[in-house]
Amino acid sequence: MKIEWTKAPVGRRNFLKGATALGAAAALPMGLGSRAMAAEGGTLRVRSYGDLQSIDPAFSKGVIDEEIHASIYNKLIQYKPGREWDWQMDAAAMIEQGDETHIKFALRDDIGFTNGFGAMTAEDVKFSFERIVADETESPNKPDMGPLSHVEVTGEREGTIVLKEPFAPLWSIALPYITGNIVSKKAWEAAGGKATTDPLAESGPYLRDSWSPKEKTVLKRNPDWKGEAPAWDTIEILPIDDENTAEIAFEAGELDFTRVSLGSVQRYRDGVPNGGTLLEYPSLYYTWLGMNLDHPKLQNKKLRQAIQHAIDVPSVLEAAYFGAVDPSTGIIAPGLAGNRPQSLVPPQADFAKAAELLADSGETNVTLKLDTLNKTTFTTAAQVIQATLAQIGITVEVNVLESGAFWASADNEDLQLVLNRYSMTPDPYYATSWFTTEQVGHWNWERFSNEEYDQIHTSASQLTDQAKRAEMYQRAQDLMEESGAYRFLTHEATPVVHSAGVVPALRPDGLALLRYFGKA
Amino acid sequence: MLFYALRRFGLALLILIVAVTVMFLMIRAVPGDPVQIMLGPRATPELQARLTAELALDQPVWKQLVIFYGNLLQGDLGIDVFSGRSVTDIVFQQLPHTLWLILGSIIWSATLGIGLGAYAAAHPNTLIDRITAAISVSFVAAPAFVVALLSLLIFAVHLQWFPAIGAGEGFWDRLNHLVLPSFAIGLSWVGYIARLVRASMLEVMGESHIRTARAFGINERRVVMVYALRIAILPVVTVIGVGMGFLLSSAVFAEIVFARPGLGKLVIDSITTRNYPIVMGSVLISTGLFVVSTALADLINAWLDPRARTAN
Repeated sequence: MKIEWTKAPVGRRNFLKGATALGAAAALPMGLGSRAMAAEGGTLRVRSYGDLQSIDPAFSKGVIDEEIHASIYNKLIQYKPGREWDWQMDAAAMIEQGDETHIKFALRDDIGFTNGFGAMTAEDVKFSFERIVADETESPNKPDMGPLSHVEVTGEREGTIVLKEPFAPLWSIALPYITGNIVSKKAWEAAGGKATTDPLAESGPYLRDSWSPKEKTVLKRNPDWKGEAPAWDTIEILPIDDENTAEIAFEAGELDFTRVSLGSVQRYRDGVPNGGTLLEYPSLYYTWLGMNLDHPKLQNKKLRQAIQHAIDVPSVLEAAYFGAVDPSTGIIAPGLAGNRPQSLVPPQADFAKAAELLADSGETNVTLKLDTLNKTTFTTAAQVIQATLAQIGITVEVNVLESGAFWASADNEDLQLVLNRYSMTPDPYYATSWFTTEQVGHWNWERFSNEEYDQIHTSASQLTDQAKRAEMYQRAQDLMEESGAYRFLTHEATPVVHSAGVVPALRPDGLALLRYFGKA
Repeated sequence: MLFYALRRFGLALLILIVAVTVMFLMIRAVPGDPVQIMLGPRATPELQARLTAELALDQPVWKQLVIFYGNLLQGDLGIDVFSGRSVTDIVFQQLPHTLWLILGSIIWSATLGIGLGAYAAAHPNTLIDRITAAISVSFVAAPAFVVALLSLLIFAVHLQWFPAIGAGEGFWDRLNHLVLPSFAIGLSWVGYIARLVRASMLEVMGESHIRTARAFGINERRVVMVYALRIAILPVVTVIGVGMGFLLSSAVFAEIVFARPGLGKLVIDSITTRNYPIVMGSVLISTGLFVVSTALADLINAWLDPRARTAN
C-alpha cells in the first residue's frame, strides 16, 4: 500500500492565527460539570494504599491484592469482621479438625466459577492449596501454608487437608488469608498454570469488572452468586498512597472509606466531615529500635541495656505518632496469643539506671549510627531517640535512607542501630519467624541468635493449646529483650474514617473486608 | 530547512542516548537489591537466583547495558517482574494521562501568561503594569504543591466545583479532572510567560510596522492583539518546548497529590522498588518527550523565523 502525504494547508500566518485562537479558547471556563460523589447509585468507593500486583494468590503481594482476591474468590473460611480475631464459614459448608494433622471439609454446593469453568469442587481446593507449596510454583507465599502435605479428595465436594505436622496458624493465616483463596483448577490449567493481572475464573460475591492501572479497580456484583447478597452493586478501589490526599478526597465526598494519618486522628475525633465516623483500631505492625549484636561497637551488653533504658518510648510516640498510639511490649500485638502484658524494660526511660549501666559497661565517648527510613514518622522518632540518648552521653548520628537502600540492610555489616517496622499476619508464628538464627543475614538485622528462641519458634506453631502457645511466645519475646538488642516501641494504630452511608466490615486490625461492607 | 531538521533530530537522538545511559548507570549505582525488593521477604533462594539471572543482574553492568540496548533495538522494553506485563504496555497506558496533564498546564500558563503580558505591555509603566508584574512574580514564586493543596481545599473540598482525585472517565469527565492539577503546575509558568510576552511586545510595539499600522489609523486594540501579539508570542514557543522537562517533573507531584495515574508517579514508584525495566522504559519515554519537544520548538521557531536557521 502506498501512503501519500497530503500537505497540510498551514502557513506561518495560519499557524499564528491558530495559536492565538487556541489560547483564547483555553480561556473559556471548563470543568464545571457535576462530580461523581461517593456512595451514589450503590457504588462504594474505598481507598487502597497501592495498586493490584497479581490476581494469582500464589503471587499475591499482600493486603492490597488480598482485598480484591477475597471479594472475587472464596476460601473455606474467611476472617470474621469485628474487634476480635475469629473466622466464619465461606465456601465450606462444614470444616472440622479431625486430629492434629487432618482437617475435614465439605464445600457448599452452590458456588461456581465464571467463564464456564463449572462448580467449585474439592479438586479445586486440592489444586489451589497444593500449588502454593509445590516447589515448581515458586510461590513466595509458601510459608503461609506451613507443613501442608496434601489434600485428599474424598468426594466431589468433600476432602481432607493433611499436614505433615500440627500447624496452629492454619486457622489464622493459611485458610482465611491469601493462600486460602480457592481458584479453578480447570481455568488455571487452561491458561498454562499462570495468571497475571486478569482473572481467569472468579467465584466470589463480586467480579472484577475492570482494572485501570494506578487509577481504579472496579468490582461488580456477581449475578450468579447464591450466597448472602453483597450490599453494594459496585465497589471502586482507588489506589492512593498518600494519606493526606485520601483525607482530602474523603472530605470532598469522593471516598467512602479510607485509613487516615495518625496526625489527623485528633482532628477527626473532634468531628468527621459529611457526617462520617472515625474508627480507631489497633494495628499488627510492630516498630522497634534494633541493635546489631555483631557490630564491634555493640558487643557490650551493659551498653545495649543502657540504650534500652535511656529511650523514653512515650516521648517517641508523642512526637512521631502524635500520641495516637500505645507503647508495645514486644513483636506480638494485643489480641494475639503471646502478647505480653508488659515488657521487661518499662516504656518510660530511666536515665539514672541507664547512666549507671553505661558506667558499668566501661564504654566512653560512645558514638553510634542510627539507620532509618525517610518517612517523617521514623525520622522524628529517630531524632527523639537521638536526643534521649544524648542525655546519658551517647552520640547518635541519624542516617536517613530511602526505601530501596533501607530494605537492603540485611547484609550491611556496618549496621549499628536501626529503627525498624515489620508487618505481620494475625498469628504470633509470623512475627517470631524473622528473628531466628536462620534469618541472620536476611531479615534478622540484629543478628540475634538464641537456641531456646529458635526452639520456641519451631515448636509453638505446632501446639493447638493456645494458653501454652501464648506462654511460649511470651518467653520468646523475653529472650529478645534480655539480649539487649531490642527496644520495642509500638504496634502503631489503624484509624479509619467512613461516610455516613456505609457500614464498614473490618478485621480487628482495621483492614477492610470489602465483601462484607454494608449500607447504613 | 530539511538539513537543519535532520541535524536537530540527530542531536536529539544523541542527547537521548546519553541521558538513558546515564540513568541506566545511576539506577544500578544506588544500593538495594531489586530482586529482594520485588520478591519480598519470603522468596526462596532459588527463585531469587532465577529472577536475578532473568534480569541479567548477575552480569557486569556494561553487559547489562548492551543487553538493554540490544532489546531496545528490537522494540522490547522488557517485562515488569511484579505483574508480568509488558513494560511498553504499562508505560504507554500511563503516558496519555501525563501528556494531557502537561497540555492542560500549557494551556493554563499560555492563556493567563499571554493575557497578563499583553495587557501589561499595552499599559506600560502604569499602575496596571505594576500590578500585573507583582502578580506574575507571585505566580513564579508560589510553590506548585502549595497551589495544588490550596486549590484542592478551596475548589474540591469547600466549593466542590472540581474533583479532588483520579483522572475521570470519558472526555468531559477527564477534562473536569484535569482542571485543578493542570492549574497547579501551570500557574508557576504564568509569571515567566507574562514577563516574556511583555518584554517581547514592548520591543515589537516599537517596530516600524506597528508605527505604520497606527499611522493608518487602525484601532489600537487590533494593533496590540493582531499585529504585535502574533510576533511577541514567538519566544513562548521556545519556552514551552524547553519547559517540557520542568512540566514533566512537576507532573510527578501533581500525580501524587491528585492521585492521578501517569508517567511521573510510575517512575517514582518504580525507582523506590528498584523496578529496573519500568524505570528504564519510563525514563526513555519521558526523556524522548523532552528532547523531541525541545527539537520541535526549535524547528517551529526556525520555520516561523527563517533567521533562526542561519543563526544555527
